[in-house]
Amino acid sequence: MAETATAAARGTRVTYDFVTRAIARTLGHPGKGYFALLAAAVALLAVGIVCLLFLLRYGLGLAGYSHPVYWAVYITCFVFWVGIAHSGTLISAILFLFRSGWRTAVYRTAEAMTVFAVMTAGLFPLIHIGRQWYFYWLIPYPNERGLWPNFKSPLIWDEFAIGTYFTVSTVFLIMGLIPDIAAVRDVATGWRKKLYAITSLGWRGTNEQWRHYTRGYLYLAALATPLVLSVHSVVSWDFAMAIVPGWHATIFAPYFVAGAIYSGVAMVITLLVPIRKLFHLEQLITVHHFENLAKLCLLTGMIVGYAYCVEYFTAWFGGNPAERAAFWYRAFGPFWWASWTMIICNAFLPQLLWFKPIRTNILALFVISIFVNIGMWFERYVIIVVSLAGEPFERFANATYNPTWADWGIMAGSFGWFFMWFLLFVKNFPAVSISEVKEVLPAPTRGKAARA
Amino acid sequence: MNRRRFLKVLGATSGGAAALSGCGIGPEPTEHLVPYVVPPEDQVPGTATYYATTCRECAAGCGLHAKVREGRVIKLEGNPESPINEGRLCSRGQAALQGLYNPDRITDPMARGPNGEWQKLSWDDAIGRLAGKVKEARGRGIVFLTGLEPGSFGELVDAWVKEVGGRHVTHESFAFEALREGNRRAFGTAAIPLYDFARARYIVSFGADFMETWLSPVGYQNSFTRAHSFDGDRDTLMAKFVFVGPRLSLTGMSADEWIAAKPATEALLALAMAQVILAGRLAPAPLDAGRLERLLPTPQRVAPVVGIAAAEIERLAREFAASQGGLAVGGGVATQYGDGAELLVVAVNILNYVAGQVGKTVRFGPNQAVADAGTFRQLTDLVADLAAGKVELLLVHGANPGHTLPAAFSQALSKVGYKVSFASYWDETAAASDLVLPDLHPLEQWSDSRPRTGIHALQQPVMQPVFPNTMHTGDVLLRVAGKAGTFKDYLQSRWKELHQRVGKGRDFADFWTDALQHGGLYAEAPAQPVRLDPGVVQLLGDVGGAGSGAADEPLLIVFPSLALHDGRGANKPWLQELPDPVSKITWHAWVEVHPETAAKWQLANGDILLLKSPHGTVRAPVWITPGIRPGVLAVPTGQGHKAYGRYAKDRSFNAFELLSDAPASFGGRAFAAPVAVVKTGDHRRLATVEGDAREQGRGIIEVLSLARARELKSGAHPFAEREVPGYAEDAQKAWAEAQHQKASLGDYAGTPPRWGMAIDLSKCTGCSACVTACYAENNLATVGEELVVRRRQMSWMRIERYYTADADGRRVGALVNPMLCQQCGNAPCEPVCPVYAAYHTPDGLNGQVYNRCVGTRYCANNCPYKVRYFNWFNFAEPGGEWESWPDPLNMLLNPDVTVREKGVMEKCTFCVQRIRGAQNRARLEDRSVRDGDITPACAQACPSEAIVFGDLHDRSSLVARLAADPRGYHVHSELNTKPAITYLARVMHGAARGA
Repeated sequence: MAETATAAARGTRVTYDFVTRAIARTLGHPGKGYFALLAAAVALLAVGIVCLLFLLRYGLGLAGYSHPVYWAVYITCFVFWVGIAHSGTLISAILFLFRSGWRTAVYRTAEAMTVFAVMTAGLFPLIHIGRQWYFYWLIPYPNERGLWPNFKSPLIWDEFAIGTYFTVSTVFLIMGLIPDIAAVRDVATGWRKKLYAITSLGWRGTNEQWRHYTRGYLYLAALATPLVLSVHSVVSWDFAMAIVPGWHATIFAPYFVAGAIYSGVAMVITLLVPIRKLFHLEQLITVHHFENLAKLCLLTGMIVGYAYCVEYFTAWFGGNPAERAAFWYRAFGPFWWASWTMIICNAFLPQLLWFKPIRTNILALFVISIFVNIGMWFERYVIIVVSLAGEPFERFANATYNPTWADWGIMAGSFGWFFMWFLLFVKNFPAVSISEVKEVLPAPTRGKAARA
Repeated sequence: MNRRRFLKVLGATSGGAAALSGCGIGPEPTEHLVPYVVPPEDQVPGTATYYATTCRECAAGCGLHAKVREGRVIKLEGNPESPINEGRLCSRGQAALQGLYNPDRITDPMARGPNGEWQKLSWDDAIGRLAGKVKEARGRGIVFLTGLEPGSFGELVDAWVKEVGGRHVTHESFAFEALREGNRRAFGTAAIPLYDFARARYIVSFGADFMETWLSPVGYQNSFTRAHSFDGDRDTLMAKFVFVGPRLSLTGMSADEWIAAKPATEALLALAMAQVILAGRLAPAPLDAGRLERLLPTPQRVAPVVGIAAAEIERLAREFAASQGGLAVGGGVATQYGDGAELLVVAVNILNYVAGQVGKTVRFGPNQAVADAGTFRQLTDLVADLAAGKVELLLVHGANPGHTLPAAFSQALSKVGYKVSFASYWDETAAASDLVLPDLHPLEQWSDSRPRTGIHALQQPVMQPVFPNTMHTGDVLLRVAGKAGTFKDYLQSRWKELHQRVGKGRDFADFWTDALQHGGLYAEAPAQPVRLDPGVVQLLGDVGGAGSGAADEPLLIVFPSLALHDGRGANKPWLQELPDPVSKITWHAWVEVHPETAAKWQLANGDILLLKSPHGTVRAPVWITPGIRPGVLAVPTGQGHKAYGRYAKDRSFNAFELLSDAPASFGGRAFAAPVAVVKTGDHRRLATVEGDAREQGRGIIEVLSLARARELKSGAHPFAEREVPGYAEDAQKAWAEAQHQKASLGDYAGTPPRWGMAIDLSKCTGCSACVTACYAENNLATVGEELVVRRRQMSWMRIERYYTADADGRRVGALVNPMLCQQCGNAPCEPVCPVYAAYHTPDGLNGQVYNRCVGTRYCANNCPYKVRYFNWFNFAEPGGEWESWPDPLNMLLNPDVTVREKGVMEKCTFCVQRIRGAQNRARLEDRSVRDGDITPACAQACPSEAIVFGDLHDRSSLVARLAADPRGYHVHSELNTKPAITYLARVMHGAARGA
């Protein structure tokens, strides 16, 4: 393979042994930098929790909502995090089925990111409802009142879509981890040895186990693949099924899925760059990997840009005055800055990825990926807040909207929550798949190198 | 785990749970219902009792029905038997409840101690002190200042004052001196006649805001609508309404034409119209009018002064005369510019006279009692006496001169030996007095009033006093005078005299009970013929001189606020939060600026201006509106209290401070002043509920020209193409309709009733009485200024006001429509609710189950009418930051309606409690619900009877007939929502203008 060949050319032979050691090393004693990052994440989470307590005590009025902007930053964050969750399954399941060898070095990070992003996203619908303590009324469970949720409501579909996705992606992550945990179990000591002994589920690496494992993994990948498309389609229907101009569009499902993968890939890049640096994984996660991710980014970014054009074109061509007013408001109304941030970050900036020198420049990719993340957050903000604030039907009722500390605080908390889990994960479980990276290495020659 | 540890854990967890629910998280704590030990005989729990009484919020004297539940009055409605308001009631009248239960009421008699601090007194002590002071001050100047008291209480005050050798002065901030003086100059009587709008066929208002504060707004609005609404069945002529005035007021918004004549030249316009009528022999003028012909100015002469083309003036005059039912009204507060304002009334009187309408649409005889109010000149004389130390004892009742009179009054108070206030609230005057003897609220007391000749309206206590240690001022006066008996006895003695005159030999007890039940005695007043005073010709030369004011300084007009009146409404949160019908601003005052003026001065909405008149300076936020003449500024009265309780204190500015101290030529106050304007550079966000002031062709308000409306035959559907747009036809027929029919929830096609509403926009004026009615009926929270700025107002009923204009921005007008839940048959809010809190009832309502709502707010996003409102905070939390009903304001809550918790969506359900109540009554009487049994609060209050409610499935119901009216249309029907509310297009004389 190309990447291992380059690594080999630079003098370090990437062998089975090297892979195991390099990855197991990432689980070693954490340094000051790691603790600083973890402390920062926990501090952010604490800010979010304090804000949430205020919200519970006094009510949602502490956030910036107005009439008619009934959904705002919390739902923006929800869609943003669900979007982030997308590339994980795409990379691990779809690219697995397509037999893309390059995925092996990055898929674990992507999968972990997926699980934690869904965990983060799932909090927001609970936070944003008015009576958070009755959230369980949305769940169909047998109760003495004989009440059932309304299966016509896209919010119920959402609950199932997110729930399914969370279950499957978690199972997928854990399943992929089993051989690796077994590998680190064999070198670990102390409480970790116990932890890994339990979580490796008795993996011994026998032929039979491997046979079952690979079959199972394949089927699970096949099962997860449609979910990549379904989850964000369903999330998009939260909006597309409503009659709000700017939401009510048939393009929404593919538009959201492309956007989700786009933001997810960007987030993978944002996460991989520091991990690669911190854990010295340059030989395993190579520039080639980043270039492939950049290409995926470019593709999905182009789809997103196309979707933007289609939205505006349809609004104009459809001739519906409410629709036209909504998109005029979006581009030139009081929120023009948000709309143009979104278009520049998501549609124009990624055009730089056409150039190989940029695609292979890690720093440039890191910067672009952050802008894409910002742009994708604003995409959801524009779709949700700006469409509502414009209120093209009842002209008298339109209003502006300004987020407050409660919005920003809980949003910051969500980043703290996500990074806390992510940091804990990368220090306790292999962030790069040991067994799958080995799969793409050249067959070991006899002698010392063969012993892994 | 041992027992000790178990108990410890148990204690800790239950303590935690208690703390949790104490924080407002989790279910609300249990409350206990305590039954009566000895139930009162006349109360059936759960059943309302209605008492007839009289509204005392302004001088109009509307009849009231007070709805009392379990001993508490919870709603005020109009008394249908009263000829003044015919069962209708304005916002101010309904908000009297919040005066009754006001948390800032004075609960006990108070006296100022030696160090200026307030001390509670017993009533014996207080009355003793007052009697002592009266004895001391006898012969050294005793003045009793009251509001307008046209009844037994006023007579008692007169008698009492006479006995102690003082004088009685009455104070109404809007005493219509110009109108009285103009009538005196023209007809030799300073009386204020009855203007019969209902019989008018052509109405010209020269600045008379008869829907806001002018004389009798509810009654006039009601009768105006009878003349001005379009009723295809009757095929009568719809009266045309022309409004002349510098500012498009609420009254002006109903006009077919708005003429923004140059301020103070309106009289010339009226005279020129009279000249055209006389010269052209267009109307059968009385014989003595002929000699005016040569003296009146011609349209050609006045046109350049007034700023209207001569041809326009001639057209107006011809239309006025040809209608054979012309009615010109003038003498409104907003055109009481200053010296010479009475000449406008003279001119208006001449116009009515030459058109032969005096005695027809203008009827002297049933005269308004407000003509007896003290003039501003009397009050300035009083202030001079106070300042000169000629008054030893000043008693103030039912007025707040500390707010409404010039600052000279407050300064002069220090020269008064002893000041006694009978105020119920700590207003500016009470705060400056030495002894406060809190009166009962008008809803707690016996009294009567004669608001119009021939009408004897009775006031009875509708409940026990909220604060038992308050006392009727009449009782206080009787006790001070050492008379036996209570004021009720005095009142009855007065009524016994009346009984002897009109009782026709009936037993007094019957007579009294009968009057109580009907709210009073209503008799026709004899007509009082008037002739034009020959001296009027000498006045004609003066007319027009008034128009030559300084041209470069902008003129500032002070207009009366509909909700707050002269400021007396400012302590009632319903009125503070009621969006002004014109500006849609709540909780603060503003200055109206024309867009051209704003562009010249580079102003934006909310910029703070310093307005300096020769008499005072205020800071006012700008509201830019096309509804005002360029170069004219306007500010409302009512705000700027320095006291008067938590809701009124320190809000904006007091517009009275800008006005001159000196009475104008007509003895009244000049409600305009030249101002110098300074931009401060400060800015504030207006607490407005308005988004976009242009409707932009969304079909929210449809307008038909009168000619077009007349051509419509039943079955015609001028708005049908909007109903099913071409591109949606297939979907509508083949798919949506089928889906609609198959919907499993509710019976859309079946036999149960389908409740619906018809709102006639040719009747709706935008007065917003329905809004307050909704607040009262449905326990809507008031959220305060800060939250209105953030658009958190909870008003289920929203009066949308859109401005209209020609393509070149001329011919400005305004359209209004009440927007409330449309109870869609195919509601977008229902399918999106994940928990069925929004659901469809079998009788076609969009129900909202507050208990089930978790607050996803998806329904509100999906509602194209934006009529769902969310409880952002707990507005009912006692002592909470956002508490809406501080004790005892919570006593006005309607027990039939839930008070909603935080985190819950709420909305209009056509007053479902009234629907269920009527259904229950019908079931008890073993009959079906009849058309008219159910009246939602908004329809009940509506002074113009624009709202009709009923069963759309009942073909014979009025609402079904109106829903099939060719003028009917549904708002946003292209969305296939199938609303239950049919709006009937507004009909206008002349071409309809686009919004």
